Amino acid sequence: MTEQTVENHIEVEDLVVHYGAVMAVKQVSFAVRRGEHLTLLGPSGCGKTTTLRAIAGLEQPSAGDIRIGGQVVYSSTLRVNVPTEKRGVSMVFQSYAIWPHMTVFNNVAYGLRVRRKSKKEIEEKVHWALDLVRLGDLAQRSAAKLSGGQQQRVALARSFAFSPTVILFDEPLSNLDAKLRAEMRLEIKELQYRLGITSVYVTHDQEEALAISDRVIVMNTGIIEQIGTPGDIYDRPRSVFVADFVGAANLIRGTLRRDLAPPGLITLETATGAIVHGCDNGRSVGTAGAFSVRTVYPWLRPERPPEARNIWKVRINRRVFLGDFVQYLVAWGDEQLVIRRPPTERFDEGATVYMGIAPEHCVLLES
Amino acid sequence: MESRFNTQTLITWVVMVLCAGLVLYPLVFLVQVALNTGDAQTWPPAQYGLDNFDGLLRAPKVLLNTLHVAALATGMAVLIGFSMAWILSRTDVPGRRTLESLMSLPYYVTPLVGALAWSALGSPRGIINQLWYALGGTQALVHINSPEGIAWVMALFEGSVAFVMISAAMKSMDPALEESSQVLGAGKLETMLRVTLPLVAPAVVGAVIFVFAEMLGSFSAAAILGMPERFFVVTTAIWTLVVRFPPDFPLAAAMGLSLFGVMLAMMYLYRRVMHSATYVTITGKAFRPRLIQMGWRRWPLFGVCVAYLCVAVFLPMLALGYVSLLKFATVIPKDIAWTLDNYRTAFDLGPIREALGTSLTLGLLTATSGMVLMGLLSWIIYRSHTRGAGWLEYIVMFPQSVPRLVFGLGLLLSWVVMPIPVYGTIWLLLVGYLTVFLPLGVRTISGVMVQLDKSVEECARVCGASWLYQLWTVTMPLLRPGLIAAWVLLFIASVREVGTSVLLIGPRTKVIGPAIIASWESSGLQLTAAMALIQVSIVFAALLVLLIVAGRMVRIEGE
Repeated sequence: MTEQTVENHIEVEDLVVHYGAVMAVKQVSFAVRRGEHLTLLGPSGCGKTTTLRAIAGLEQPSAGDIRIGGQVVYSSTLRVNVPTEKRGVSMVFQSYAIWPHMTVFNNVAYGLRVRRKSKKEIEEKVHWALDLVRLGDLAQRSAAKLSGGQQQRVALARSFAFSPTVILFDEPLSNLDAKLRAEMRLEIKELQYRLGITSVYVTHDQEEALAISDRVIVMNTGIIEQIGTPGDIYDRPRSVFVADFVGAANLIRGTLRRDLAPPGLITLETATGAIVHGCDNGRSVGTAGAFSVRTVYPWLRPERPPEARNIWKVRINRRVFLGDFVQYLVAWGDEQLVIRRPPTERFDEGATVYMGIAPEHCVLLES
Repeated sequence: MESRFNTQTLITWVVMVLCAGLVLYPLVFLVQVALNTGDAQTWPPAQYGLDNFDGLLRAPKVLLNTLHVAALATGMAVLIGFSMAWILSRTDVPGRRTLESLMSLPYYVTPLVGALAWSALGSPRGIINQLWYALGGTQALVHINSPEGIAWVMALFEGSVAFVMISAAMKSMDPALEESSQVLGAGKLETMLRVTLPLVAPAVVGAVIFVFAEMLGSFSAAAILGMPERFFVVTTAIWTLVVRFPPDFPLAAAMGLSLFGVMLAMMYLYRRVMHSATYVTITGKAFRPRLIQMGWRRWPLFGVCVAYLCVAVFLPMLALGYVSLLKFATVIPKDIAWTLDNYRTAFDLGPIREALGTSLTLGLLTATSGMVLMGLLSWIIYRSHTRGAGWLEYIVMFPQSVPRLVFGLGLLLSWVVMPIPVYGTIWLLLVGYLTVFLPLGVRTISGVMVQLDKSVEECARVCGASWLYQLWTVTMPLLRPGLIAAWVLLFIASVREVGTSVLLIGPRTKVIGPAIIASWESSGLQLTAAMALIQVSIVFAALLVLLIVAGRMVRIEGE
């Protein structure tokens, strides 16, 4: 089986990594398809960086298998552990790791020099890489004299100058300011797509993950919570953690009322007796369950609208102006829900309004 | 595992075994000789026992002398250190930065040279007393060849060590701790007594223990100032036992082992104290401490600092310089006969020239091989994740707990029995120096190394570089300032060393430290003074190189 025909470029199977006595990665398994951009998303300490570094060979796992391009690079059962420099993966570090004692040119050329490419080829490739990141005229500058954004671009250019098939990204944008971050992530996505490089990307910024990934893996304390496309993760979260971590969500718990469920929908009755209709996305449920409702989906109207399902009278407890949207805390039965509405709508504190939630936006969480 | 047996692992294990051997082998022999109550010539030994230690107990005077001198010296040194630390880090005395960097000068002058200088100044017929008589005094004003005199000279040099330790603690104190005391209504004095002093106390206690341990193992001052009056401490007693004919190795070893044991215990105590002192620096931030405005009192304090530097460095240098240019010792102006003969002799006389040459060669060898060895060690301890790296750190820092002279004795005993004719050669000295300088070298290089972000090295590996290629193209260039500083420091340490080498020199190998002592015993003070100044000049020349290259003077601890 040649490398080109292997569908899964990177395979991680039952990976376990310990930090001292703590298990940082607990039997994590996933596969990355050729040319895909996969993001590992989660809070600090969830094991995403550890997993990434294990793929690179910079962390020593305790158990599991890692295959790159069909070849085993780590296996606890076969007792294989290929050193980092032989795995053929490239990496962009959070701190950029630019070598201050070399010029920009020599930084980018390093991977090519190690592979003993000809002087001509090195020149060509380095200039090509620098042009792609728009730093073409800084080739002879000393790398110690670069700004943060420039260092980041040099690190990027260095990572693909020798045409690797895999690039690993360890939170490359977290040290940049918000505006630059938004610009750079699109550039990274562009490059990755254009060059067809398989990427594994680690971040704690859920906005970043949603913006540039083909698929997202949400991790929490060493385990995988959910794997899916950005749309999947956002609209059909599987657990409370995912619902809470990616975007903002309300949690509505209740007991199952099969007798009240319309065809194709599922119905829960809350503790205060409110009947909520939602969808189960094929997930199973016992006698009780919980719906996750994204804060941007409920709507508010001053008068009762004609629809019948999922409409309730609520009272606005608090109104917080946040610029791009307004956040309302509404009293609904015994609970308080968070709703985000565009600034064009305006409801005052203390007012009584009608709130509605479309059933497809009430997502049943897995129990 | 494919990676288990590769270059990195192999080199790591070789270096670890080598280091452990260097450090432990002489000590094993020391223990064995000390406990050998049978015939010293047979090997392996016939019987073991504690009889050798009887000699120690039958001559309690030596032990008492040692404790007397060490206690006095510690008291004075900590007083000097504390005062200097307080003045230079907490008050607004002028020229603080310059004064602080000058505080390390005593290390470069060395206790040996200092003791010689003070001998010239304060012995019964020394400069001070001669001046006193000339002014009409009848009795000697200063008697440096006494326990107090020895303690005084030792304190002058260890004072700068105590200074470093205490001022580090003073500087790392969060000013907010004192500010909140004052905001709540306490005055300056009360704040100092209730907040400042308790916070600094652990560092002061630590300094007391550390300095006391060093004083126990100190040799030069006691040799120069004590032996003429037949006043012995443990180190000079060991030396006497070894250089006389026939040498009494078992008793010397017993004394050495006892001294080592006490020093080990003190160092353990020191580490315990310092460990619990970390609450002062718990946030890990560097603070700019509040300076107390002293008003007109700044100038007297400035005078105190300058006075210390004069007494510890400039006065001795001047005295030695003066003496080295005389035909014979006198201060009476009409009797003074200037001459450069002493320097001429120093450079012409075979043995002395040999000693100078050997010292320089040894310095170059120690610095170069030490830099490579300690660089590797630093990387293994702080960068690789090999099992046993923690043990290696302990082994590398272990020589700090061994008095230099005792280690020299151990080396002597361990290599004398070897069939390899290495005893009395430069190679044995090199081995000894590399071992005792391990803490110095590793600390200097690792200080720079831990500041190196590991991702810079990992990135090279990820780009495809092998471990050696990564070391060569990334790690070493970035470590260069630290490596150069380590090279120069090792060179300086090698040239100024006395304790380790004084027992290891032979008829074919002489080095400058012991040569100065030998000259002082046999020749006049004038020639010895010239030799001492030559040694100091070499050290200062190297120091100048360090200043130019590294841009600052590097702080050191210990003799």
